[in-house]
Amino acid sequence: MSAVIPRVATLPEQPAAEKVSRARQLWEAARRKPLGAVSAALIVVLVLTALFADVLAPYDPLAPQPDIRLSAPSREHPFGTDDIGRDVFSRIIHGARISLWVGLLAVGIGTAAGMLIGLVCGYCEGRVDMILQRFMDAVQAIPGLVLALAIVSVLRPNTTNAMIAIAIVIIPGNSRIVRGAVLSAKQHHYVEAAQAIGCRHPRIIAGHILPNVTAPILIIASIWLGNAILIEATLSFLGVGTQPPTPSWGLMLSSTGRAFMEQAPWLAIFPGLAISLAVLAFNLFGDTLRDAWDPKLRNRS
Amino acid sequence: MRKYVLRRLVLAIPVLLLSSVIVFGLMRVMPGDALIALMGESGNIGERELAHVRRQLRLDLPYHEQYGLWLWQLVTLRPGDSIFTGEPITVSLGKAIPVTLELAALALLLGLVIAVPIGVISATRQDSAPDYVGRVVAVSGLSLPDFWLATLVITFAALWFHWIPPIGYTSLWESPLRNLQQFLLPAAVLGFRLSAATMRMTRSTVLEVLREDYVRTAWAKGLAGRIVVYKHALKNALIPVVTIVGGQLGVLLAGTFVVESIFALPGMGRLTVEAILYRDYPVVQTNVMLVAITLVTLNLLVDVSYAWLDPRIRYR
Repeated sequence: MSAVIPRVATLPEQPAAEKVSRARQLWEAARRKPLGAVSAALIVVLVLTALFADVLAPYDPLAPQPDIRLSAPSREHPFGTDDIGRDVFSRIIHGARISLWVGLLAVGIGTAAGMLIGLVCGYCEGRVDMILQRFMDAVQAIPGLVLALAIVSVLRPNTTNAMIAIAIVIIPGNSRIVRGAVLSAKQHHYVEAAQAIGCRHPRIIAGHILPNVTAPILIIASIWLGNAILIEATLSFLGVGTQPPTPSWGLMLSSTGRAFMEQAPWLAIFPGLAISLAVLAFNLFGDTLRDAWDPKLRNRS
Repeated sequence: MRKYVLRRLVLAIPVLLLSSVIVFGLMRVMPGDALIALMGESGNIGERELAHVRRQLRLDLPYHEQYGLWLWQLVTLRPGDSIFTGEPITVSLGKAIPVTLELAALALLLGLVIAVPIGVISATRQDSAPDYVGRVVAVSGLSLPDFWLATLVITFAALWFHWIPPIGYTSLWESPLRNLQQFLLPAAVLGFRLSAATMRMTRSTVLEVLREDYVRTAWAKGLAGRIVVYKHALKNALIPVVTIVGGQLGVLLAGTFVVESIFALPGMGRLTVEAILYRDYPVVQTNVMLVAITLVTLNLLVDVSYAWLDPRIRYR
């Protein structure tokens, strides 16, 4: 046994005795790929912005000041003001809250549900697996955005329902990745050994299979976070996500950004820039996680 | 080959049936009467139309009969009328589908025209300035939201060139030039987004193929670089690119939903988004199902073409 475990838990080029922690692998990857470190820094900034929006925003994001409507970026209003004189900079800072909140919850729910289904499918195999996976195929046959739109159309258009819709979109792909990881984890001798000495299923799953599945789950979750933010922005842009006057990046772009784009292009530029940076940061960070922990996933996602 | 196609067809049918159950179930999450009351509440339709709609949608039938009826309507290509406009869904689809097809075809074409040459240049000049530029463009294509790109394109075309694409839609046969003016920008936005993944794939497969023995042989016998790259390497490198393009058809279809809404092109996407906003759910369920059918069929075609290009696939 002792000869088997270290070989499985470490990278092949490492000496068998030296265990490399995930944090260490991540650190090494960040040093090799500075873009990964930059994206992590961007994410930290984003999270801090969302947490301390009340302190950071120089103005009330909802307070109109009609006398300075549509004013260009200046020292007082670095991103200008919108059609009723609200400070765009403050609105973007508060918008980070909506984007992150929706992204985190949607990905949290979607990942948890996907993981559960994937675990059941991969561990039980057989008929349960067959039926559940065909069901996942059927959900995946509908493009994510279209499915999210359809879900929101049945529920009322608001932030919470947009989040639920995004979570449902995430489930099938996640379940498939987890299922694959579980199937390959089951091949390990120590799982067979655990079965042989009569461990119960929950113990085998929690103790021997889950640790093998966490890396792919975290990687997929970080990539999905970017996508979730993008889908929320798209839904809000199309008018079926977050409703006015709440500052959501997608909504800012569609309501004022498009209506006044010729007089006030800053209304379209800054919210879009915020969305792009957030999505880019999560995409790059996900790429870095993948390179550090599981290079095999590269061609699968 | 025929066996492979048949097997894939047989597998696709239950998936589509399940999709239809999901779409139907989704539309019935809310009891039909509540849904219709909501539509009345939003002021879209009056009391008399409500009664008519209830009858027309057969909301009095039990769910399984409603589902059976809807499936039969789909199969016989008579999906009923829109609640909101009263127009038969087949008529509005007949007008909308050509628009989306043209947009998607143009976007796909533009995407390939952008992606393949840049991918090849990126690969043949690995780690040079053009390579870095190409890779940055590819990553930004994956991260920039298409609705933002579209908004910016319209804004800056208007600001800098004082040019606004002609509003509305003119068919290709009526006035090809006007049609092209209307389609060029939306297709370019979609094509740019599609090109990102294709570019990355082209780059990595060309890099891989360039290291193969037969390419070295081609170099060794003194062929010109252009011929080695385009005639020997690219041919084999393009096989995985076909699957990447195929895998992006979903992105493309979803992209048309957004871009059509922004550029006011009366295609499938705009029709569906409007139906969603007005809670016109016969239209929503038919359109969503149609998208699912299209996507499953296209994926099937891609897989079959891939199996045809690379016979090893058939045995997996």
